[in-house]
Amino acid sequence: MKNDVLEKDGMKKIDLQSLTLYIGAVAILIIFTVVCRLAGKNFLTFGNIQNVITQSSVIAVIAIGQSVVILTGGIDLSVGSTVGFVGILGGLLIKSGMPIGVVCLLLVVTGILIGACNGALISYGKIPAFIVTLGSLQIIRGVTMVLNSGKPISGFPEGLKAIMNTKIFGMPISILYVFILYAIMMTIMTKTRLGRWIYSIGGNAKAAKLAGVKTKKIEVYSYIISGIFAAIGGILLLSRLSYADPNAGSGYELDSIAAVVIGGIAMSGGKGNIGNTLVGALILGMLKCGLQILNVPVYFQTIIIGLAIITAVFFDKAKERRAE
Amino acid sequence: MKKRLSTLIMSILLVAFVLAGCKDTTKDDSKSPTDDGSSNKQKEITIGFVPMTLNNEYFITMVNGAKQKAEELGIKLDVQAADQHASAAAQLTIVENMITSGVDGICIVPSSSEGLSTALTKCKEAGIPVINLDTKIDQSILDEVDFEVPFYGTDNYAGAKFAGAYVIENFEKGIETAILTGIEGQQNAADRRNGFFDAAGSHVNVVAEQSANWEVDQGYTATQNILSANPNIGLIFASNDGMAIGALRAVEEAGKKEDISIIGFDAISEALNMVEKGDMYGTVAQYPAEMGILGVENMVNIINGEDSQEYIDTGAKLITKENVEEHKKYCEQFAE
Repeated sequence: MKNDVLEKDGMKKIDLQSLTLYIGAVAILIIFTVVCRLAGKNFLTFGNIQNVITQSSVIAVIAIGQSVVILTGGIDLSVGSTVGFVGILGGLLIKSGMPIGVVCLLLVVTGILIGACNGALISYGKIPAFIVTLGSLQIIRGVTMVLNSGKPISGFPEGLKAIMNTKIFGMPISILYVFILYAIMMTIMTKTRLGRWIYSIGGNAKAAKLAGVKTKKIEVYSYIISGIFAAIGGILLLSRLSYADPNAGSGYELDSIAAVVIGGIAMSGGKGNIGNTLVGALILGMLKCGLQILNVPVYFQTIIIGLAIITAVFFDKAKERRAE
Repeated sequence: MKKRLSTLIMSILLVAFVLAGCKDTTKDDSKSPTDDGSSNKQKEITIGFVPMTLNNEYFITMVNGAKQKAEELGIKLDVQAADQHASAAAQLTIVENMITSGVDGICIVPSSSEGLSTALTKCKEAGIPVINLDTKIDQSILDEVDFEVPFYGTDNYAGAKFAGAYVIENFEKGIETAILTGIEGQQNAADRRNGFFDAAGSHVNVVAEQSANWEVDQGYTATQNILSANPNIGLIFASNDGMAIGALRAVEEAGKKEDISIIGFDAISEALNMVEKGDMYGTVAQYPAEMGILGVENMVNIINGEDSQEYIDTGAKLITKENVEEHKKYCEQFAE
């Protein structure tokens, strides 16, 4: 019963949040379209929209898992390192002659293992998520360096490139991945018990426990989900660059958290819609792309993106206050 | 609420369609004046310029050289770099966005020698010429993409070898030496280490070698540790000036400034001041501004269909107390 109440409460907020978010996204789209036009450059073209989606896809995919973790009230700082690790491990395996499909599967399993370790330490070891994943961020990056003595790997077969650099019906295939992965996760979050439980833990862990939810197990699952999506993100990046860089993914943990926060999921957990995380990631991508096309100096780009994150949360909170 | 949401989505789509519809007509409008203009004077050239980062004096000097040349030639320069660190993914995104914004050519300092294959493929497909500056793109990548890219820059290996040769001439044989290396796995880190080692390795006695990841603070702590383990060190070769500055701090604290000579690499202004004061023995100078200037100059030639050079060695030099003043004067013209 309690879960239903929590969920309904969550749903109401979702609509309010979505409104601000969509208005913000469209406003940014319009502003860039107009300003770029005035500067004699194109922003809203079919090709560029494809570009923005492809550029955002890695962060968007990682942010799915980050959303789930943040919905439980946790955080996963290890996703960026996982991206780098998966890249180097995958690179070595592909170079050793293993079929790419098998490699991808193994990499996803790696993501599951990383997530399981994080999750177990957090829920059963009772160490705060921030600390555990801060530690694993370092450990995983270190292992990545050890794995190939810090060297990058290049010269991959065409098959690897094809994962990300293929077009279907004239659209980059990354669009398909992103939408399928989001569709799957949104269905899980709204239509299954697992999804409801994840919301309930973040909403009120004690109440969820009293209602019979196995909160520890669910918490571990949420980190496993994050590990899986970080690994998929790593595979996509490896394919997009066709180059395994041991430093790849540094800072992606922050980008993914930014996408989640802009998408309106509360850092305290329990409230928000995963679908909006995609919009959050696209807003970040649009900002970066638009500012680059306008040739805004890189220092100002980072300032503007930082302001965007704070503004997004500010409007979110303002709406919440008004609703109360 | 649901109704409002669907109305909103509908209106978003509407706006998007209207704007998308506008695009073609406005595009034509915006094109025609430039077409008219081109019959009178030359079409404005825009060159995309992508240094590795912009939070490093070396690249800022390179960009300033490029900017001066661009101004002189009356062309536009779009400068974009990754925010915090050199990243192949960020550079690919920048190149994609530059292609969208319609640059005529791209000068790039790759974040790594091998990570640019997708970006180069996209430039090739878009018919945009590329000039490679400073860090050479791996030949295997160029072969894979089948794209001709001129390279202008210094050979890090040669520069470090230069420092090594100087050490042989000016320091006694068997001097205990420590080497601070850059990020493990980076080509230029390996080149600088190997260049020094190949030239002076048999002359000096290398007792410690440690990576300090190009960072001042890490150079400082690494040197502290090295000094406590090897108190008789007489020479430190730091693969960049940041680490050399860190090393100098540690040496000063240990009270061994008189006994230990430090040689850095890059000739950043702080290091030049230290060489001038006699705190640092020397630093290997490269000429980043030349790379920027030559990159822009030759790119304009390529775009205009004129001759351009395939390879230019922009040179390296060891700056010591004797020639530091002259080098500082040269650098001043590219400072902001």
